[in-house]
Amino acid sequence: MTLLRTAFWVVVCVVVFKLLLVHVRVDGISMLPTCPDQSVYWVNRLAYVRHAPQRGDVVAIRFIKMDSAIARLEPPGVMLLKRIIGLPGETVAFVNGRVLINGEILDEPYEKSGYDWNSAPVTLGPDEYYVVGDNRSMPPEYHTHGKCERSRIVGKAML
Amino acid sequence: MKIVLRLILLVALAAAGIWLWTILFPSPEKIVRKRLAQAASEVSFKSAENPLVIAARAERFAGFFSTNVEININVPELGQHNLAGRDEITQAAAGARAAVSSLTVEFPDMNITIGPDKLSAVADVSVKVQAAGEKDVYVQEIKFTLQKIGGDWLITRVETVRTLS
Repeated sequence: MTLLRTAFWVVVCVVVFKLLLVHVRVDGISMLPTCPDQSVYWVNRLAYVRHAPQRGDVVAIRFIKMDSAIARLEPPGVMLLKRIIGLPGETVAFVNGRVLINGEILDEPYEKSGYDWNSAPVTLGPDEYYVVGDNRSMPPEYHTHGKCERSRIVGKAML
Repeated sequence: MKIVLRLILLVALAAAGIWLWTILFPSPEKIVRKRLAQAASEVSFKSAENPLVIAARAERFAGFFSTNVEININVPELGQHNLAGRDEITQAAAGARAAVSSLTVEFPDMNITIGPDKLSAVADVSVKVQAAGEKDVYVQEIKFTLQKIGGDWLITRVETVRTLS
């Protein structure tokens, strides 16, 4: 009976900590000040089962696009941690350090760096999100940001 | 009870058989995965080496590529770099080994697609690089194209991929 109970808890732990929650450690400064370098978070992989990702969510994104749903079950070894600012079908642009969504300024209370990025408008496809880090103090070419397909989003970071 | 035990034994034997089969006859995907991991291990080093070792290991690393390989690297931190052929790879590998005292290269995630002819493959790989003295770990998505040439899977093309377009 003890063996059965142990086996049950082992299965529960594997399911929870391997499939449902993914442990991430931030390496870098692109999500400052929200996520400091070397801070640790859990990513909830079930966050988007019942609803689509929302604007403002901090999400983990896989580098490698996995074609099959079964392959996507395996947690990635490395991920990007970014914030969603643009939703499918929207047009996103940076103008003098402000984000414009469909031509309207996006209020970003989490962004404290004060930046001056400018970019041409980008229209997102039906399955695409625009993601960017909170720290925009560096030139845009040194900051990984842009369109991200839904299938690359692993889950929502629990901040 | 005897039947249950026999059944368990049968299942265990079948599992052992399948496991042995995969060890003796690995799938092309598994071979490509192992080959790329070996290449990453070959280009990594933990301490400064003498010039002879540097030359030998750089030569061995170039052996993972085909003679007509093309490498196109384009990342903001390094700029655009193009290499062609094994000689240029040997020189670049030796140069990197001489320039830094340690380098760790890993491929944490791989998505391998074997071509219908079973003689070609495309591997989308996340490459994790850390050099001595660097606090940050550098991660980049890279696409490898491989071909089975003379019984070996050799890398014929390497190109960087922009994860977020």
